[in-house]
Amino acid sequence: MIGDLDYYRALVDKCSHCALCEAVCPVYLEDMLETHVARARIDIINQTLYKKSMPVTPRVREIIDRCLVCTSCTQSCGAAVPVHEIIITARHALYAGKKQNPLQRFFLKDMMEKRGIRGLPAFLLWTAQKLHMAPKGFPKVSLRSFDSTYHGTYMPEGRKRARVAYFTGCATNTMQTDTGVSVMKVLALNGIEVVIPDGLMCCGIPALGEGDIPTAQKLARNNISILAGLEVDAFVTDCTSCGMMLRAEAAKLLPADDPLLLKALELSSKIFEVTDYLNTIGLSAKPGPLQGDFTYHIPCHRGWTGTLNEAPLKLLSQVPGLNYRPMEEPEKCCGAGGAFFMDYYDLSQKIRTHKVNDISNTGAGLLVSQCPGCRSYLSVGLDNKVEAVHPLTLLRRAYGL
Amino acid sequence: MPANTALPKTLGKDLGQLLGSSKVKTDAEDLLAYSSDATRYYAQGKPDAVVLSETVDDVCKVLKYADKYGIPVTARGAGSGLSGGSTPIQGGIVLDMKRMNRILEISKGNMTARAESGVVLANFHRAVEKEKLFYPPDPQSMDVCTLGGNVACRAGGPRGVKYGTTPNYVLGLEAVLPDGSVINTGGISVKQANGYNITQLLTGSEGTLAVITKVNLRLLPLPPERKTLVMVCDSAQIAAETVSQIIYEGAVPAVLEYLSVGAIWLMNTYSPIPVAQDGQAYLLIELDGTPAVIREDEEKIKSIAQKMKVREVKVIEDAGQAAGIWKARKNLSPLVLRVFQKSISEDVTVPRDRIPEMVRAVSEIGAELGVSASMSGHAGDGNIHPGVQLLEVTPELEKKAEEAIRRIIEKGIELGGTVSGEHGIGLHKSDYIEKELGPVQIDLMRRIKHAFDPKGIMNPGKIWLEKKP
Repeated sequence: MIGDLDYYRALVDKCSHCALCEAVCPVYLEDMLETHVARARIDIINQTLYKKSMPVTPRVREIIDRCLVCTSCTQSCGAAVPVHEIIITARHALYAGKKQNPLQRFFLKDMMEKRGIRGLPAFLLWTAQKLHMAPKGFPKVSLRSFDSTYHGTYMPEGRKRARVAYFTGCATNTMQTDTGVSVMKVLALNGIEVVIPDGLMCCGIPALGEGDIPTAQKLARNNISILAGLEVDAFVTDCTSCGMMLRAEAAKLLPADDPLLLKALELSSKIFEVTDYLNTIGLSAKPGPLQGDFTYHIPCHRGWTGTLNEAPLKLLSQVPGLNYRPMEEPEKCCGAGGAFFMDYYDLSQKIRTHKVNDISNTGAGLLVSQCPGCRSYLSVGLDNKVEAVHPLTLLRRAYGL
Repeated sequence: MPANTALPKTLGKDLGQLLGSSKVKTDAEDLLAYSSDATRYYAQGKPDAVVLSETVDDVCKVLKYADKYGIPVTARGAGSGLSGGSTPIQGGIVLDMKRMNRILEISKGNMTARAESGVVLANFHRAVEKEKLFYPPDPQSMDVCTLGGNVACRAGGPRGVKYGTTPNYVLGLEAVLPDGSVINTGGISVKQANGYNITQLLTGSEGTLAVITKVNLRLLPLPPERKTLVMVCDSAQIAAETVSQIIYEGAVPAVLEYLSVGAIWLMNTYSPIPVAQDGQAYLLIELDGTPAVIREDEEKIKSIAQKMKVREVKVIEDAGQAAGIWKARKNLSPLVLRVFQKSISEDVTVPRDRIPEMVRAVSEIGAELGVSASMSGHAGDGNIHPGVQLLEVTPELEKKAEEAIRRIIEKGIELGGTVSGEHGIGLHKSDYIEKELGPVQIDLMRRIKHAFDPKGIMNPGKIWLEKKP
């Protein structure tokens, strides 16, 4: 179970020290200091939290905090060490969810339990943004959330081919509501009935990243209970991080004797990123032509199904006139890492600069990615010269919706 | 001569003043991160300071300082070595070279390149391949390991069978001697007959003579095409004899890897390999060259396979699938730890016509001692990487593993082989090198070392055992 130091004891010892994580860690590649790469972090966690042969110094905290939880090291680890889970567990041991300052906690709590920033905080942030007083780099907040417009069941156009539940993440719900509209319209046109259940909360990944296991558990339990009660063919998300949380991480948050564990596992096999799902079922409506070149950034929280990474490309290849221009290293991190970019402003910007150069070098006018965090952080880095969109937003345009 | 162990108390501060404090790390956590290479199980040694050198001048300053006080200096690339070579067993200063990572020149006209020693090999590959040039050495840590580390350890890799290893490509070096003076050895000419070959002496010196700061490398034209084949064999002997036969008949693939049944099983967990899973041994082959050459080699290899009773030869047509297989091969050594608790990989290399004997000997040694001993590696050049894997770590099993390794290495030497084909001697094999080379040569090496490094500060304790007084 994530958060349980004992559970990870043997996995910490699995690290072979091969150093191959140096090739993929965005933080290491910027800092060029071996202390900031997975094998050293694991070693340091081992010595401080397990063997207790070294004290927990401020430097130890820095080493454990200075990680984007991008999971690149976990994904590439030959020895299958779940590095990001060990980092999260260490953060839990160090902070027990009390790391952020009270203001950040307030915002995060608001976000996590209400699926986005709502009510007074949203109004204050919206006002602050209008007055240019908001925290540096914080994404724009809509006053009207997606789920205040969309909730309940939506019948498809024409013959019904499937029924899915749409898990709307916090970013779509309060910041990039247009993505949600795209998902609704594209699914409806393709004969898919959509349910947006009431009572969902944040997927829990921000809490997880912070090592706030009780909050992450609470959110996971709430969402699993609601989703498990629905009779649908699949659960879709437009956000790769929400999807990863629901499919790959939620069950790992529950103790072995938790009655919800079985439900979480059953649920997990039916969670899909929405473009991946559309490829499985196929488009019943033929997209019209679009003009333009696009490039594709693969979000870090990728690969939780075998076909996910290529899914938007496969889907968009059906739009005539859209030309794909691959960037170098499409899997390279953008540097945002949830809220990491606010705590490590300079480091994140340096990481983003490489990505921005790779995107600009393609000459494409459109950037496609399924992560709202990446899109928003990269848009700023690209000075809005390249339009960052969810793949379904492009598909919606191809349908003229 | 052991280095002086009386460190100045102001080491960190002194180095900070010399280089700027951002390049010097002395926190316990940083020192832990630099306390071993990829063989942590074998030995660890905490340095007293880590220096992140950014220029040749930084390296000179550190060496002058270290020389003055007799402080050990261990140069380090990615810390991905497999011999304990960059493990600072006597403490002192670790010089992290990875920030010196500029490729200075790629000359199409001369087919050479000049680069700083901290350049990551895979980045170098990408850069020269963009120019349709080719740098063959491909140690499986290529995504992280550095050119300097490769030169210092004579790194090889699967392509050794056709293209040789790093030393075959080193034309010249810039290196800093322990007293801080900078030498430029060799040059960028592809023919050189200019006195003692200091370039090749430093190549493979494992940081015991000087710190390599720049490398001049010879390049080849990039082969236009590649093709991957997998052979399924019904016994280890058939696989080993097929390797010898392929070499004997002069069909030289770019890569000719021998993989045990366990290795294939593990690789399959990482990336699917579309062949029968019940073979007893496998050969993984890459052909390269023009389409005509590849076609000819493929025919030749297929007819050898038929003659040797290889069960199946599968051509991997899908480029993505082939890339997946090679990626799994790169990760084979950590993959072993998905099943085993400890894995010791050796580097014995034998003449290629003795491979069948070596394969048989390794499995017999394993069976006799009751440990899992297997081979998987670059069979085409005789470097099959025998290894011992432990399901659990107990003192008794560790003793058996040690004994198995000893017998395997001795068998390799007996067959006319060498204790290390491409990892270097470092700490692990210093027990054996005298057996292979004899005391006179070791003494000669010691005298060469003394000529370069009279105070014994350069990566002390490596290659041979410290002389007992």
